[in-house]
Amino acid sequence: MNGPLIVQSDKTLLLEVDHEQADGCRRAIAPFAELERAPEHIHTYRVTPLGLWNARAAGHDAEQVVDALVQYSRYPVPHALLVDIAETMDRYGRLTLSKHPAHGLVLTTTDRPVLEEVLKSKRIAPLVGARIDPDSVAVHPSERGQIKQTLLKLGWPAEDLAGYVDGEAHPIELDEDGWALRPYQKQAVENFWHGGSGVVVLPCGAGKTLVGAGSMAQAKSTTLILVTNTVSARQWKHELVRRTSLTEDEIGEYSGTRKEIRPVTIATYQVLTTRRKGVYPHLELFDSRDWGLIVYDEVHLLPAPVFKFTADLQARRRLGLTATLVREDGRESDVFSLIGPKRFDAPWKEIEAQGYIAPADCVEVRVNLTDSERLAYATAETEEKYRFCATTATKRKVTEAIVRRFAGQQILVIGQYIDQLDELGEHLNAPVIKGETSNTQREKLFDAFREGEISVLVVSKVANFSIDLPEATVAVQVSGTFGSRQEEAQRLGRVLRPKADGHQAHFYSVVARDTIDQDFAAHRQRFLAEQGYAYRIVDADDILSEG
Amino acid sequence: MSSDEKPAAPRSLAEALRGRDDACLAALLRSRPDLITPVPTDLTQLATRAGTRASVVRALERLDRFTLQTAEALAVAGDPATRDELLGLMAGDAGDPDVAAALPHAVDTLREQALAWGGDDRLRLVRTARELLAPSPQHPSPTGLGPTVQEATAGMSPGRIQELVAAAGLASTHDSVSAVAALTALFRDRRRMAALLAAAPADSLDVLDRLVWGPPYGQVTADPAPRLRWLLDRGLLLPTAPGTVVLPREAALHLRGGRAHRAPEPLPPALDSLTAHPPRGVDDTAAGQAHTALATVEELLKDWDEGGPNVLRSGGLSVRDLKRTAVALDVSEPLAAFWVELAYAAGLLASDGEADERYAATPAYDEWREQSPAERWTRLAGAWLAATRTPGLVGGRDAKDRSLSALGPGLDRSAAPEVRHRVLALLAALPRGSAPDAGQLLDRLRWERPLRGPQQDDDLRTRLARWTLSEAELLGVTGRGALSAHGRALLGSPPAAPAAGEAEPSGPGDKLPVHRQARPSGADGVPEPPSPADRAAAAAAAARTLAPLLPEPLDHVLLQADLTAVAPGPLRRPLADVLDVLADVESKGGATVYRFTPASVRRALDAGRTAGDLHAFLTEHSRTPVPQPLAYLIDDVARRHGHLRVGAASAYVRCDDDSVLQEILADKRSAGLRLRRLAPTVLAAQADPAALLEGLRAMGYAPAAESAAGDVLVTRTDAHRTPPRTAPEPVPDGPPAPDATLLGAAVRAIRAGDRASTAPRKPAATAPADGALPRTAAAETLATMQAAVLTGEALWIGYVNAEGAASQRVIAPIRVEGGFVTAYDHTADEVRTYPLHRVTGVAELAEDPS
Repeated sequence: MNGPLIVQSDKTLLLEVDHEQADGCRRAIAPFAELERAPEHIHTYRVTPLGLWNARAAGHDAEQVVDALVQYSRYPVPHALLVDIAETMDRYGRLTLSKHPAHGLVLTTTDRPVLEEVLKSKRIAPLVGARIDPDSVAVHPSERGQIKQTLLKLGWPAEDLAGYVDGEAHPIELDEDGWALRPYQKQAVENFWHGGSGVVVLPCGAGKTLVGAGSMAQAKSTTLILVTNTVSARQWKHELVRRTSLTEDEIGEYSGTRKEIRPVTIATYQVLTTRRKGVYPHLELFDSRDWGLIVYDEVHLLPAPVFKFTADLQARRRLGLTATLVREDGRESDVFSLIGPKRFDAPWKEIEAQGYIAPADCVEVRVNLTDSERLAYATAETEEKYRFCATTATKRKVTEAIVRRFAGQQILVIGQYIDQLDELGEHLNAPVIKGETSNTQREKLFDAFREGEISVLVVSKVANFSIDLPEATVAVQVSGTFGSRQEEAQRLGRVLRPKADGHQAHFYSVVARDTIDQDFAAHRQRFLAEQGYAYRIVDADDILSEG
Repeated sequence: MSSDEKPAAPRSLAEALRGRDDACLAALLRSRPDLITPVPTDLTQLATRAGTRASVVRALERLDRFTLQTAEALAVAGDPATRDELLGLMAGDAGDPDVAAALPHAVDTLREQALAWGGDDRLRLVRTARELLAPSPQHPSPTGLGPTVQEATAGMSPGRIQELVAAAGLASTHDSVSAVAALTALFRDRRRMAALLAAAPADSLDVLDRLVWGPPYGQVTADPAPRLRWLLDRGLLLPTAPGTVVLPREAALHLRGGRAHRAPEPLPPALDSLTAHPPRGVDDTAAGQAHTALATVEELLKDWDEGGPNVLRSGGLSVRDLKRTAVALDVSEPLAAFWVELAYAAGLLASDGEADERYAATPAYDEWREQSPAERWTRLAGAWLAATRTPGLVGGRDAKDRSLSALGPGLDRSAAPEVRHRVLALLAALPRGSAPDAGQLLDRLRWERPLRGPQQDDDLRTRLARWTLSEAELLGVTGRGALSAHGRALLGSPPAAPAAGEAEPSGPGDKLPVHRQARPSGADGVPEPPSPADRAAAAAAAARTLAPLLPEPLDHVLLQADLTAVAPGPLRRPLADVLDVLADVESKGGATVYRFTPASVRRALDAGRTAGDLHAFLTEHSRTPVPQPLAYLIDDVARRHGHLRVGAASAYVRCDDDSVLQEILADKRSAGLRLRRLAPTVLAAQADPAALLEGLRAMGYAPAAESAAGDVLVTRTDAHRTPPRTAPEPVPDGPPAPDATLLGAAVRAIRAGDRASTAPRKPAATAPADGALPRTAAAETLATMQAAVLTGEALWIGYVNAEGAASQRVIAPIRVEGGFVTAYDHTADEVRTYPLHRVTGVAELAEDPS
C-alpha cells in the first residue's frame, strides 16, 4: 500500500517519478494509459476509452489493466472505476471488420444486439450494404475508414482484421554505414510494423525521418511520403539518398513546381489540397501507383481534406510522424482513428537523458511596454491587440542584447510579423527568410548558416518545420501564431539537435508583460512545460543590464 | 405454544390469549406494535383489535414467504384444521422433510402473532385473515385453488346434484347435503378418485392439467365440447356463473398430490454465490470510498457556502440547480441527489427559512467540520441508516404525476431504514470479505417479506434494496460489495464474524444461519430496538475501526514547474484551506492536483495574504524547491495587486480650497464623521450625506448637497448559514417498536383491565321493557358488538333508519369496522351493514327464549 501510483476520480493516473517502483509501474501502465504531462516530480497519465481499446488491440486484457492499477496504486482504487475499465474494454472486439470471399468487406458481430444497435444509427446506415446473415453485414470497401471512425464515436470500436494490401514491391534497404538506428528508433519501427498502421511521436531532432526510412526498409514497397513544404521534401529526399539504398532517380518530388511520380514519391500537403473549380486535381496521386506504405510527416498539421482522402486508404499501411500531437482544433482523435493509434511515444526528457537531443535552457523574457505603447494597446481593436504588444520596440532591444550575449554562436530569431522581422534583420545585420524568399535563396542561406558563414538568421514561420539547422544553439522567439502549443515545441526543436560539443541550447521567448502576448505565451508553453521543460522567467531589465 | 395445550381448548382468540404467559403477550405486542397504540383495556379488546382488517393486513405483510404460505394453506383447509391436515397441504402426499421441519415454527409464528389460535388439533386462522386469504372469485388465492365442492354447489338444484352423484358412480342419496358430502368424500379419496380419473378421456385430463395450478376458472360455451361435458357431468368442473366453470378445491388437491402450493419454500433462498475478496482489501476500498464521501459532502457544502440554490416554491431543489451541482461535484445527477440528500439527512444543510428561501449549510456543519474524519463519517453513515428519505426516487414522478425533486417533499419511504438494516444484516452474516450476488440477495429479501399478489421485479422494497447496495458502496459502508469492518461495527453486529468457510450451515444448500430472529416472528422475536446508548457505542466503535484505515493527512505538497502542485494524499485542514484559495483544483481522488493561475494567486492576495506569506507558505509545505516560474507568478501578480484601490464611502466633501478641507480634518468635531482625505480637494466620509451636512453645519460651515452622488453600496460576502435547524426526523411506518419497559407496562395494564372485565359482577342492564328500544352508551354498544363478533352470539339492537323510523332487530355481528357493523340480520334473514351511530343500544338476548 505504498505504491508510486495514485488513481484519480477523473481517470488520470499520477505517477511519482522518484519512487523506487516508478519504472515498473510506468511499463505496466504504458500500454493503456496516455502520458499527458511529464513535469519533474509527478507524471500524469490518462486512461481513455481509446487507450483501453488500443491496449485490447495490442493483446492486453482488462485483467492486466486492473492488476497493474491495483498492484501499483497507493490508495484503494475505486471499485466503480475498475468495473468501468472492464466494461469499456469489453466493448472492443464485439464488432470485427474482415474480408469475405464473396462480399468483400464485412462487419461481423459476436453480440447481435450490438450490431442491431449500430445499424440503427443514422451515421452507419449509408456506410453498409446488404445484411448477409443475422450476425454480419456487408460494408462498402471504400468506407472502411469512415465506418471505423463512426463506430469509434458510437463507442463500439471495430477490430480491423481485413489486413493490408502489400502494394507494388520495391527493394529498399537501410544503408547503415557508419551509423545505425538508435534503440528507440528501432523500437518505434518495430512497434509500427507490428501494429500495421499508426503514429510515432518523437521529439524534434530525435530523428523521425529515420523512423520513416526504417519503416520503408521493412515494407520494401513503393512509398508515398506526404510532407509540409518543398524544403522539407528536399530534405527527405536528401536524407533518404544518404541513409538508404535508394538513388536520386528512384525518388520523385510532387510539388507545385515538379510533378514526378517515382517508386518513392514525396508530395506536399499544399499541392494535394489545391482546389480548382471545386475539385482536387492532384488527388489521383493516391491512385497513380499501388502504394504499399504512406508516410504522413508532421501529422499534427494534416489538413482537413487529407483526413477525408485518408479515410479511403484504409487498406494501405499508414505511418504518421510527429513531435507534438496536440492540435488546437482538437482533432487528435481523428488522427488516431484514421491513421492509426499511437504506436510509440518517447517523452522529450527521456530522449534528452539518453543524449540524443540537447538539453535546453528555456527562458521567458518579460518586457514592459512603454507608456505610449500601453495607451495604443489599450485602445487597439481586439484583432490588432496581439500585433501591437507582440511587436513592441523593447523586444528589439532585448533581442539585440541576447544576440550580443551569445555572439559567435549560431542564433535563430523567429517571429510572426514580417515588419518586425525586417526591422530586426536590419538592426542585427542579418538576412531574413520569409514567405516571399525563393526556395533557392532559402537553401543558399541555410547552407551558409550551416557552414557558419552567417551566425544570425531571422526567420518567419516558413521555417517552423523540418528544416535541418544542425548547429543552431540559440533561438529567440519574438512573436508567434497566437497560442499555438505545437509551434512553440517545433521552435524549441530547432535548437535540440545534439551539439557537437554537447553544450546546452538556449531558447528565449520574448513576451510583453501584462498583455495578451503573456496569456498566449503561457498557453504556448504548456505543452513543453508538461514535457518537463521548466521556463525561467526573467525581466527584460536583467537582460538589458547584462548586455 | 405450550400455553395453548391446556386441557380445556380455548373457544375464542381472546381466551387463547388469556391462556398465554406474559412473555408471549409481550412478543405479540412487540411484533405488532400497532396493537398497543393506544393500550387496550383488556384481552377481549386486544383480541378484537388483533382481528381488525388493517392490523391483520399489516401483520400478514410482515410474514416471511413460508409462514405466509402456511397461512394461505390454513385458509383453504378446514376450520378448524388439524396439524396433519395442514402438513398434508404444505408437504403433499409425498411428504417433504424440509417442510415438515419448518412447519411447526411457521405455525408457532402465526399463533404468536395472533393470526391463528387453537391447539394442533384445532387450528384456526382468525376470521379476518381467513377472509383475506381464502380464495374467492374476486381475490384469487396465491394457492390457485378454487372453492370447495360444498361452496360451489351451494346454489345448485337438488336434482342436478343427484345427477352428478350418479355420474360419479355413487349411490344416490335422499338429500343434497349428504350427496355433496359423498361427492366431497370421493374427491378426497385418492384411490377412488384415481380410479375415476383413469376412466377419463385424455383430452379431459388435459383440461384439468391446465386448471390444476390455477387460476381454477375456465370459460365454457353453452354447448360444451365432449371433453368438458365429461368433467361437468362428474362434478370435476362445477359451474359458478353462466359460461364459467371452476375446478373444485378437493379435485385440484387430488391432482396436485395434496399440495396447496406448487412450490412451498420452507427454506430462505441461499446466499451461496459469493465473491470472496481479501477482507483487508474490502476494508481499504471501503475506507477509500468513505474518504471520498467525506470529501464530496464537504465540497458540496463549500460550493453552497456563500448561499446555495433557491428553494422551489413547492419545496426542493430545481432540476437546473441539481444539474449545476452535479457538474460542480463532477458526478451524475442521481449521485448528486444522493449526496445532497445525505447532507440534508445528516442535518448539515437545510433551508434558511428567509423570505427569499435558499439552501445553506447549518451551524451543525461547522461543528461537523471540526470532528475527526472517522467521526464525520459515522455521522453521515448513521444518518443514512436511519433516514426514511430515499434519494433514489429523485427525478421520478409521484402518484399525482408531480416530479420528485431532491430535498423536496414526497421522498420519505417508511420502509427504507428497515430494508437498509436488513440488507446490511444479511451482508453482516456472510463471511468477511464476501460479496453476495445481488440477485440472490434480492431473492432472499423477497422471501423474507413477500408481496401478497404477483411477484414483481421493481416493487418498492426491491428498489430500496438495490439503492441500499449502491449507496452503501458510495458511502464506504461496503467495499467491493462486501460489508467492511467499520460498516459491521456501525450496525452494532458482533465483530467476530465467522471466517470464510467456517459458516455453520443450517439448511441444505444454505451456507447461512437462518435468521429467524430477524423476521417479525419466532420464539426469539424481533430484536430489541437499539437504545440511543447502543447506537452511540456502535458509532464510536465504527469510528475507531475506520480511523486507522483512512489515509493519514499530509502536511506537504509537490510543486512543479508547470505551475501545478500535487498533494499525494489528503491534506491537513489548514493547508488544504489555504491551497484551495491559492490554486484551482484540477483533479481529485486519492491525490489532489492544484494549478496556480494568476487569478487563483490574486484570490489569495484578495483574501489578505501577502506575497511574502505565500512564498513562506509554499517553501514550508513543499517537499521540493519552489519552482522559479511559480515564485515569479506570485511576485508578478502581487506587483499589480492593489494598484487600483476601491473602497466604499457614504458621502464626500468637495472643495476647491484645500485649506478649508485641511481645517475640517483638523477640527475635533469632525471625528464622528470619519472623514478621510482622498485627494487635496476631496474628503470621503463614512457618515451618510444627511449626517455629514448636519455635522458640517454644526461646525459652522455652509455645505450644499450634491445631486446624483456616487453612493457606493457596501457588500459583504459572509458565509451563509441557516438559523439552527434540526435534522429531518425519519418518518416511521406505524408506531415505533416498543421497548421492554413499555411492553411490560402494556401487558400489566391489559391484564389488569382483563381481570376487571372478566371478574364476576352483577348482570348488566337487563333487557329493556317490552317494546322500548334498547338504550346503551356508545362505548358499551361497541364493546358488546365486538364481543359478539368473537363469540358469534346474536344481539338485540335498536336501530333508527335514514328516515328516522326506529325499529328493533336481532343481528349476529360478523365484523365491526370503521363505524359500521356487518351482521346477519335474523329479522331480515340476510347480511346487512348498519352504521353504528344509528344503533340506539344493544342488549344480549336472554339465554332462554322463554
